[in-house]
Amino acid sequence: MPTDNKYADMEEKLWILEDLNMMYIRQIALSLQDSDIQKKIDHEIRMRDGACKLLAACSQRDQALEAAKSLQTCSTRIMAYMSELQRMKEAQVMQNVPRRSSDAGPMDDRLPCKGKVAISDLRIPLMWKDTEYFKNKGELHRCAVFCLLQLGGEIFDTDMVIVDRTLTDICFDNTIVFSEASPGFELRVELYSCCSEDDYSAGSTPRKLASKLSSSLGRSAGKKLRAAMEPGACSPVSNGGAAPLLLPVPSVPGPKYHLLAHTTLSLSHVQDSFRTHDLTISGNEECSYWLPLYGSMCCRLAAQPHCMTRQMMAGWLKVKQCGGDPKTWTKVYAVLKATSLSCYQRQEDVDANVEPALTIGINKETRIRASEKDPHGKGQNISISNRYGGEEVTHTLNTESREDTHSWMEAFWQHFYDMSQWKQCCDDLMKIELPSPRKPAPVTPKQGSLYHEMVIESSDDLSSTVSDILARRMQELELRSQLGTSPTWMSVFEENSPKSTGFPVRPCTSRLSGHSPHSPHRLPSRSPVSPHRCPQPGLLSSDASLTSDSDSHCSTSPCSHRHDWPEPSSSFSLLSSSPSRLRPRTLSLDAKLSTLRGRGYGGGGAFQCSCQPPSSSLLAPHPASSRSPLSQRSTQTTLSCSSSTSSSSSSNSEGSHSPESSEGGPFSRPSPARRSLRNLRARLDPRNWLQSHV
Amino acid sequence: MSFVPGQPVTAVVQRIEIQKLRQGENLILGFSIGGGIDQDPGQNPFSEDKSDKGIYVTRITPGGPAEVAGLRIGDKIMQVNGWDMTMVTHDQARKKLTKKREDVVRLLITRKSLEEAVKHSKGSHPRQ
Repeated sequence: MPTDNKYADMEEKLWILEDLNMMYIRQIALSLQDSDIQKKIDHEIRMRDGACKLLAACSQRDQALEAAKSLQTCSTRIMAYMSELQRMKEAQVMQNVPRRSSDAGPMDDRLPCKGKVAISDLRIPLMWKDTEYFKNKGELHRCAVFCLLQLGGEIFDTDMVIVDRTLTDICFDNTIVFSEASPGFELRVELYSCCSEDDYSAGSTPRKLASKLSSSLGRSAGKKLRAAMEPGACSPVSNGGAAPLLLPVPSVPGPKYHLLAHTTLSLSHVQDSFRTHDLTISGNEECSYWLPLYGSMCCRLAAQPHCMTRQMMAGWLKVKQCGGDPKTWTKVYAVLKATSLSCYQRQEDVDANVEPALTIGINKETRIRASEKDPHGKGQNISISNRYGGEEVTHTLNTESREDTHSWMEAFWQHFYDMSQWKQCCDDLMKIELPSPRKPAPVTPKQGSLYHEMVIESSDDLSSTVSDILARRMQELELRSQLGTSPTWMSVFEENSPKSTGFPVRPCTSRLSGHSPHSPHRLPSRSPVSPHRCPQPGLLSSDASLTSDSDSHCSTSPCSHRHDWPEPSSSFSLLSSSPSRLRPRTLSLDAKLSTLRGRGYGGGGAFQCSCQPPSSSLLAPHPASSRSPLSQRSTQTTLSCSSSTSSSSSSNSEGSHSPESSEGGPFSRPSPARRSLRNLRARLDPRNWLQSHV
Repeated sequence: MSFVPGQPVTAVVQRIEIQKLRQGENLILGFSIGGGIDQDPGQNPFSEDKSDKGIYVTRITPGGPAEVAGLRIGDKIMQVNGWDMTMVTHDQARKKLTKKREDVVRLLITRKSLEEAVKHSKGSHPRQ
């Protein structure tokens, strides 16, 4: 077909162009006599070729996505190196131009020290529409996303994450460290995404048929098909538009990543904790690679300037404190590092981690002066003054010779300059966790969502109850929380105020399939804490029920012990009418809630779970039987397992139920009357059925 | 207590007269209602017939005027001060009960136990 020839021609031309460009680049590199960048470019080009070949050869979707990602990264790196080369060439040319005298300004060419910048724990919240989110039928619209981070000449990519509507945030676990960053750095974060639909790898469909197909399919499906088959998707121009002719992307069939969002971070965004930044989103809903981003990104951006981590200056000095005997000079080995001048008695002490004999603080408030030549000895005195509280303390240093004094003063000035440039990074040393080289974790089919962390492993042994699983999780997460990254849902399970003593047992109401609802496993449990809990001894107004499978609801009675699992006082019945149906996976919490909301769980005699039996086990707070001795307007609990700002139904408010009668005190086996009462109250959830008080 | 459309509804009812209690500015009766033609009848735990969109008593404040007067949870309210309650929206029902000018409401309520009692006492009383 003629169109094919045209494409083949174009491809050839592109390859030729590329070869020419490569020659041009090599020439520049040679003239600059900088073989370093040339080597890097060569390396990247080889990587890129490899990725192209892999892309052409692989059949599996995952592989193709990974290969496309490497391709994108390599291309970006090549671009960066080339622009670096061009800059260097320009600089060289500029230098050769003789400088006029008027250009020579004050040659205060003090450069700030460089530092390490690390970005970690990237999290991008998604904002699915209600309708999309609760649509449980139909295929999942999935996208593969990854982030490209660029600082100076260094470009790194994160791992790829598959995103579909069960995910509430896109989380990238990688920690990326840039080693040589100046204080005026600009860290550019770009989010690339690629639609990951299986049906639309139809690159080779003849155009007439393709257009017929796309017009006869439904609107959204047709759009996707058309987007996937667009020749523009493979054209070089779509490569970000940046210098397309310099290094055109070879047109390979296969998945192609598009820029979805980007942002630039700088020194002002650096902080030792998590912060939220705005994202600039490109693309709109019509694009195949579109994802409903909330518009912000959370991450931890930390910086370690070298002045904080390395010794800036070290040498022998004589120190005396002001106000002391002028003859008592102490000879010390002083090290200038971070925010202090540490004086050791011996040089070996520095490495031996012995405490310094004297530490003089050096920070923004410190004043350092070189005094006039001391008539008593050689060298000059340097005095360092700090204000501690209301007092001013001055230390005087004396060096061996003028040159030493000069170099010390120089070091001090440089240090002050660094601190003024790096600003908040010099207040305290920020921790940067170096990513340890480890084997890539086995990729789970679904990943990322906080809900999926609540996987309840299937076990034949029912006694290994959910709360045991929670206990195990807690232990695992204790470690993680020490690094300050405990998952946000843990905050839900924090300790309650230790007011409640007796806890009524809530038995499970099970399906009327013949099982007696009373086989309470005495289990420790934790209840979610609501910030506005009404203090009632004996009863707490919120309960959460954990379902081990779809058939039964149980409510946990509230427990309020710190960090231990009380045994008898609170109990929690976990009941399943068919143990074999314990499922290992958790469904999206919100999806489950929507079905709950839609159909409630009342009606008739059967206490039906509104999730159909094939649903999986999950942690869902049901106000299955909730009680509060207070009035109807008592507190509501929001158990939001996700801290993201996804759809509004992510807050599971527990229905506020007014009490029938105050039920204080624990009792182990409620009578049938009470049981039906509980049934009743469960069904009187105002969310499902409006009630008015008159 | 199902009804056949087009046929008159018959039920065994009890008359309950509730004196409203003044609490500050409000006159309260001390119970809650649920149901209405604009509500989902399937959610009603008290109704026998799940298509019954009538107004039911869902909660009684202990010691309140309603309890004192003899209203019980699960009762279906057929009339309030002469106003029909079998074909009203939830809000209309609430309004009829909370008229500020009236300090007494006379309800006609029906409950299953009444029917049973009548049936048993009359033997083969044809149940509606």
